[in-house]
Amino acid sequence: MTRIASAVIAATFLAGAAAHAQRLEGTERPAMAAGLAQDVIEVEVNYNDSRVIVFAATPQPESQTSGLAVALVGPIIPHRMIRRTATGDERIEFVAAPQVFAVSAEPVVTATVPPDAMIEAGLNAQSTALPRLDQLLSPNLGAWREAFVGLKMAEGLYTFGDADFRRFDGGLRRASIGLPTNAPPGEYTVRAVAFRDGKVVGESRQTFTLARSGLDETLFDLSREHGLIYGFVAILLGTLVGGVAAWLGRK
Amino acid sequence: MLIHLPIAQVAVDPLILVAIGMLVGFLSGLFGVGGGFLLTPLLIFYGIPAAVAVSTQANQIMATSIAGVSAHWRERQVDTRLGALMLMGGFAGSTAGVGLFSILKAFGVVDVTVSFLYIIFLGVIGGLMAWESISALGKSGGDPGRRTRLRAWMRGLPMKRRFPRSGLYISIIPPIGIGFFVGMLAAVLGVGGGFILAPAMVYLLGVPTRVMVGTSLFQIIFLTAYVTFLQATFNGTVDLVLAGVLMIGGVIGARYGAIAGRRLKAAQVRLLLALLVLGIAGRLVYELFVAPQPEYRLEEAL
Repeated sequence: MTRIASAVIAATFLAGAAAHAQRLEGTERPAMAAGLAQDVIEVEVNYNDSRVIVFAATPQPESQTSGLAVALVGPIIPHRMIRRTATGDERIEFVAAPQVFAVSAEPVVTATVPPDAMIEAGLNAQSTALPRLDQLLSPNLGAWREAFVGLKMAEGLYTFGDADFRRFDGGLRRASIGLPTNAPPGEYTVRAVAFRDGKVVGESRQTFTLARSGLDETLFDLSREHGLIYGFVAILLGTLVGGVAAWLGRK
Repeated sequence: MLIHLPIAQVAVDPLILVAIGMLVGFLSGLFGVGGGFLLTPLLIFYGIPAAVAVSTQANQIMATSIAGVSAHWRERQVDTRLGALMLMGGFAGSTAGVGLFSILKAFGVVDVTVSFLYIIFLGVIGGLMAWESISALGKSGGDPGRRTRLRAWMRGLPMKRRFPRSGLYISIIPPIGIGFFVGMLAAVLGVGGGFILAPAMVYLLGVPTRVMVGTSLFQIIFLTAYVTFLQATFNGTVDLVLAGVLMIGGVIGARYGAIAGRRLKAAQVRLLLALLVLGIAGRLVYELFVAPQPEYRLEEAL
């Protein structure tokens, strides 16, 4: 119910929003009005997975080649990779790479947008891992990045084509992106990129927080901030369950 | 229905965890061991990170051991003096083991080390137990005799004490040494050590089987509590939600396992345990040496 209400508010807000130009990370790209249905997703003990809903008002007028691509990215942390070789282990360190990367595009985008444009738009998973400066010119960087994406896909943290798209009147679009069950808590960015004739015509980025809450948050915080108390609680739990079982056994 | 584990950070089916807990608890009740040597691989196979599996199941073993030892206590089959000596060694060993575990974790070799140590211990102990139990089945099918040749060297050791409940007059050095070794394994492998402690007490110390089971469980309680505390406090790898679900299945299974155990001959029980242990060792050998190894590995930078 909350999600539907948020979606309605977002859609109402978007309907009246006007597009304007904006400089984004050194690239001149027209901004696109967009909004998320939620800005916080809570991870509790009963958390299975979730879907992130984004609404975007694509630039008008549209043509047969107009389409939307979305990417869910975050949290950015360093990663270390090891490659097993006959002569020993090789290592690379990515100083910044997203733990989760879920990208999807409407079929028209997949069919009309060249790979270079997708890379330029930041929608290519292999371009997201940033190596350490001294490893930037490594001849095997491409292989490392490809393996990195493969490992992340195996963990279910990098997904492709998992979003559902819906089109509404007036260029309004709704995309629903799956957030993996094992997605770590932290700050996430949802990027929506509009294409026309194979070129970017609008872009927006929204952020949301995946936050622990309830018992999940309490136990995690206790284990990290009050290890001593957490240790006693663990022993208490074992003693309690074992004691109750012994008492029931006597009965 | 799935539940999210706060420390392991994975979503799991609680019914499968209860079933795993019940299975291990049943086998624990049947064979008189903690069951950690079965539980840790099962949890890893189910997708729980190795570091969390190792730490958390010590907490579960503690609960099942408390439930199990109560019956032996009432029947005066717990040698607390012998158990206390093994505990002394166990505390020192587990402290050293937790330090070793932290080092292995820092170097990112916990998984490989745990797998290798498991193969060695499961293979050796399973093989010896199978050999002994098959021999026993050809005879009376009862408990193994006290192997005086194995125990002969202990008679020359100093600091002898009497252990009336076990009917022994032996040096305190072997119980402390066995406790140290088992304590270290408990920390590194996440096992209570029962599958090593049980044969060591019977074959090396000469403790009667009926007293061995209760005494083994008695000292495993304190050892696993200590390991749980250290792992939770210093490594933060004990998942209480995972432990709680496993405990529920474990204490139920242990009760039915003990009932089932009374219907089998002692040698049959040992042979079944040996086959189980060898089966797990075989699976780990396959995964480590036969199954294709990934060329790349990924780990979060510290």
